[in-house]
Amino acid sequence: MGKYILKRTVNSLITVIIVFIVVFMLLRLMPLSGYFPQEVLKETDEATRMSYLRNQGLLDHPLVQLWRFVKNLFHGDLGRSLTVYPQVPITTLLAEKIPVTAAFGFSSMVLGIILGLSLGLLMVRFKDKWGDRLGTGYILAVRAIPNLIYLFFIQVWISKWFGLPMVFYEDQPSSWILPVICLSLSSIAWYALWLRRFMVDEENRDYVKFALVKGLPKKEVWKKHIFKNAIIPLVVYLPSDLLNIIAGSLVIESLYAIPGTGGLLTTAIKSQDNNLVQVIVLMYAVTSVVGVFLGDLLVAAVDPRIKLTEEG
Amino acid sequence: MENNGHTGPLIFSAKDVEIKFNLRGRTLTAVRGASLDLYQGETLAIVGESGCGKSVFTKSFIGMLDKNGSITGGQIIYRDQELTKFSTEKEWLTVRGKKIAMVFQDPMTSLNPVRTVGEQIAEVITWHFGTAHAKAKEEAIELLRRVGIQDAEARYKQYPHQFSGGMRQRVVIATAIACRPEILICDEPTTALDVTVQAQILELIRQLQRELKMTVIYITHDLGVVANVADWVAVMYAGQIVEYGTVREIFRGAAHPYTRALLHSMPQLGVKGHDLYSIKGTPPSLYKEIRGDAFAPRNPEAMEIDFEEEPPMFKVSDTHWAKTWLLHPYAKEYREQLESRTRQQHESRKPTPPFNYDCAEKLLQVKDLTVKFKIGSKEFKAVDNVSFDIYRGETLSLVGESGSGKTTIGRAIMRIYNKVDGSIIFKGEPITGKLPRGEAKRLRLEMQMIFQDPMASLNDRAKVDYIISEGLYNYHLFDNEADRLRKVEEIMGEVGLSSEFSSRFPHEFSGGQRQRIGIARSLIMDPDFVVADEPISALDVSIRAQVINLLNKLKRERNLTYLFIAHDLSVVRFISDRIAVINKGRLVELAGCDELFSHPLHPYTKALLSAVPYPDPDVERGKKLLTYDPSIHDYSVDKPSWSEICPGHFILGNQRELDGYLREIESCS
Amino acid sequence: MEEKKKVRQLNPLKFRAAIFDNMLSEDVGYSNYSYWRSTLRTFFKNKAVLALVVLIVLIILMGFIYPIVSSEDPNKASLLPLTWNQRPSWEHWFGTDTLGRDIWTRAWYGVRNSFLLAFCIALSDVGIGMIVGAIWGYNKKLDPIMIEIYNVITNVPSTVYLVLLAYIMNTSYLTLFISMASRGWIVEARFFRNRILSIRDSEYNVASRCLGTPMRRIATKNIIPQIISLIIMEAALCIPYSIGNEVFLGFVGVGLPVEAITLGNIVNQGRASFTLHPYQMLLPTIILCIITVAFYVIGNKFADASDPRNHI
Repeated sequence: MGKYILKRTVNSLITVIIVFIVVFMLLRLMPLSGYFPQEVLKETDEATRMSYLRNQGLLDHPLVQLWRFVKNLFHGDLGRSLTVYPQVPITTLLAEKIPVTAAFGFSSMVLGIILGLSLGLLMVRFKDKWGDRLGTGYILAVRAIPNLIYLFFIQVWISKWFGLPMVFYEDQPSSWILPVICLSLSSIAWYALWLRRFMVDEENRDYVKFALVKGLPKKEVWKKHIFKNAIIPLVVYLPSDLLNIIAGSLVIESLYAIPGTGGLLTTAIKSQDNNLVQVIVLMYAVTSVVGVFLGDLLVAAVDPRIKLTEEG
Repeated sequence: MENNGHTGPLIFSAKDVEIKFNLRGRTLTAVRGASLDLYQGETLAIVGESGCGKSVFTKSFIGMLDKNGSITGGQIIYRDQELTKFSTEKEWLTVRGKKIAMVFQDPMTSLNPVRTVGEQIAEVITWHFGTAHAKAKEEAIELLRRVGIQDAEARYKQYPHQFSGGMRQRVVIATAIACRPEILICDEPTTALDVTVQAQILELIRQLQRELKMTVIYITHDLGVVANVADWVAVMYAGQIVEYGTVREIFRGAAHPYTRALLHSMPQLGVKGHDLYSIKGTPPSLYKEIRGDAFAPRNPEAMEIDFEEEPPMFKVSDTHWAKTWLLHPYAKEYREQLESRTRQQHESRKPTPPFNYDCAEKLLQVKDLTVKFKIGSKEFKAVDNVSFDIYRGETLSLVGESGSGKTTIGRAIMRIYNKVDGSIIFKGEPITGKLPRGEAKRLRLEMQMIFQDPMASLNDRAKVDYIISEGLYNYHLFDNEADRLRKVEEIMGEVGLSSEFSSRFPHEFSGGQRQRIGIARSLIMDPDFVVADEPISALDVSIRAQVINLLNKLKRERNLTYLFIAHDLSVVRFISDRIAVINKGRLVELAGCDELFSHPLHPYTKALLSAVPYPDPDVERGKKLLTYDPSIHDYSVDKPSWSEICPGHFILGNQRELDGYLREIESCS
Repeated sequence: MEEKKKVRQLNPLKFRAAIFDNMLSEDVGYSNYSYWRSTLRTFFKNKAVLALVVLIVLIILMGFIYPIVSSEDPNKASLLPLTWNQRPSWEHWFGTDTLGRDIWTRAWYGVRNSFLLAFCIALSDVGIGMIVGAIWGYNKKLDPIMIEIYNVITNVPSTVYLVLLAYIMNTSYLTLFISMASRGWIVEARFFRNRILSIRDSEYNVASRCLGTPMRRIATKNIIPQIISLIIMEAALCIPYSIGNEVFLGFVGVGLPVEAITLGNIVNQGRASFTLHPYQMLLPTIILCIITVAFYVIGNKFADASDPRNHI
């Protein structure tokens, strides 16, 4: 087990480092004009812009910049925002935004698991009947229609019907409801889809037939054998769900004006704040790698078959 | 009711049971009026080909038919309860698992992989008797001990993947007997296991049956197993019981043509050099209405009445019944005619003389072959230092249990694995490692392979025509399209397939027909040497004989040399000239067929031979099971070597063991 | 087991040998079967699927034919405020937008452009993915490198990845294509690699190798026929995904320039004036949703139909 963890840790670290270097270098490829929003480009002349860039150290060789960034990283310095909040240290910004995003992400993940599993169970329970059709319809809608479209209609219409706020206010608890639900919509579809598929697969296995032949009632077999076995492979999907939620937060945070990192990234992109973009992208990448890593560990923890084989 | 030869009271009876399935709008009648009585403490074996309804029939005893199936006629009575009247799950649960338990074929899949074996046994006890968890655990451990699992307390907490196949089947049996059921249904309980393990499991069931006074039903297609375990035998065909009797009556005086055909097609009973009796075709489709005797279309000796009227059950003796018109008084003359004909046939059959090795030429030599595989970072030797020769025109069989490396040797010879140590010499030229293009091509033309699984070895998106001509295309072995078609037609005729099948897809054929397509594909290349990798182990008994006969016929006509890979010693005896026994990657013994069967020397060979079921109840019951314990070899100082102990008889052993074997030979002769 | 009573008189002459028909016993139990015919039959058996296929063909044909036959200029802005924001009428079937451009015309141009873009992406994802997947499946040595590439690309959440790339490059059809296609191929490659791996080791493939079948014929006869249905399914599923991403990128502000007429742009532009003139967004959105849902359903149903177990 220890060897396995070590091996996976090293692997994940390598991935993070590669992602980091690639993202950093890609951003250096941008034309220099990319550091300035349109208005600034019009108002300033070439010389001021160059001196500004030189001051920021953006004209140095990319490798030098990379080295500087890494060095500062170990001092807890992630650089400063360029345009969105000029000269504010990014660490300060993130310290403010991360808790918000994390709170939203976490609550929608929990909601997604609860509702997703319930929907999946409903689909299996009423297989080929109304429950299944309902679930299939839902999954189809969420997965086939571009998320922006239904998210937009939810914001416009559902908020009106239920009298819920259309944007997020920190001091108004009811303004949490819609964003959290929106953020969990695709997770719900995800869990329902896979739980149904795995349970249907498990249902036809020999050990289930044998459990029934033993004289256990169907309910018992569903609970102790089919559900339990179907849940295990689902754990593998937890990290992907995390990725899903991160991806969704980009849209939802800006739709509902939530002061989180997803919204910040969209703003940073719109105002071309290179430093900010780079840090947030890196942060997301690290989160995902760590998430996948934790997911693997979790599977190893819940599936007795994996413990013996040390190779990943 | 009188107790016709039965020892215990009648406890269970199924009368005229009819079971129908609804499959995509079509109705399949899986069981067409089958009847069966069970008496306490006895063992009944239900025999039949796959698809004859034997599994479905027994599943209906515990209400475990699939959702789309239902009992549409007849009665099932257990003690004083009419099971066919049960409608709720609750009613069934008073019987299922508690009074009537079942064991499935494949122990690898019968246990839930993510729960400990102990829990899976204990849950049955807890559920049926409401026993407290701690008490149930104790009982489960006791059960594990009882089925012969050592260190039961520690094993209780382990997961199925930590058990071997045989051990898992023991756990499955422990689960099944947890409630002390009166009836235990074993659905092919040993088919997925190696012969030596099979013998142990059968012994275990027998012992438990005695202790618990259970009635046991075996469902099996292996007549050797039947001879070993059964008191009574019911033969099932196309959803009906066609013959019923004591095991001796069935094996000595079978009355129904189907039972006789099944018995005759056993390779153990064949005479070397002659065709085995084989049953043509496949069982009828149960979607269609069956008229008359269902077996008639496959029975060359059928009477006209068989095609018109369904025969009733005729009584042969107090304990023996058969459903065939042959027993009707009108058929007396015809029956006698048939009997004298078969007697003549039997008398005229003399075994062919054994293969003459004096002037034989070595076709293939394998020297110190070692094949290593990497599993993760660990390396293990699938084949370890194996040497043998194959002479032109002989059949050498390579016999071993699963995982012994026998298939790997075959594939190494076929150059499917490129990295092997040691050397393989074919017609005097080494064929390992990289070969020049022309050489490799020549080898492909001279060496071919027949595969085990006829379902997996044919590309199901290609037509038979392409599959068979694949080799011709590769080497342009035809002048023009007409020539190619002629060749395909010719080979299809040779393997007994109509040439109009060539435009069809593999799906449309039965297992035996598919295997014949596979054989045609290899033989169209006109090879000298064929590696047959378990070509019949995936086939039904009745179809095995067809394929064995075909292989033998082709060998004679085309002067082929076979390396026949098998796990079943009974088949091997019938077709091979010499046999090599392999265990854990090493050859342990190699000798002429008769020599090996009459004077096995290596303890592993002896154990293997003692475990092979023989289709004769008296032989089976009298035999003594030997077990092989590898720890008897002390190879710490004296390393074993592969040596020729007497002409043509090779054995693996160190000096001390070889001396012992020599003494054994001397004492025999 | 009692001897049954003979109901009818039996004819003693019938108790003699019957003529044995060898062919009768060799009869194959199945009818003439062809994989593709059965797949298509199973696929079109579902009338809803048939309707969707017809609908989608009509929409796409319209998208290609309309711009050719119609003389209307989709970019023709009107200077007369009266013609702005007109409701749907006989003259303007879908109404006009904030600049007085005919939405009906724009919608069909949008269908054409969006579909072409999505189609190219699907083609490149599945095409490159399949080729790379095949090479990858056949070379175990590539495993470490390919898995690392896969991890690096997929560990960045898809939206973040797309935003980042679109942000670095100036937006145009080409760069949008590059940013989406640069991610999709690896996902497809891994999918095909797993499939090809299982086909590679299948017994019939080993049999072909024993017969000396050259690689080229193994590919065309053994591998491609097995995965062609997967190729079609994956390509079909790529289309809703690409269209969704286009909408998303437009929303974040790194989509195509405003002059480009795509469904994404039309929807995003309509969104701005949704509260006042809902039809401007609703009608093009409906077309967009029909396209994505249809391809999603067709892809999935086709996958079901191509599974021989579902054949009749």
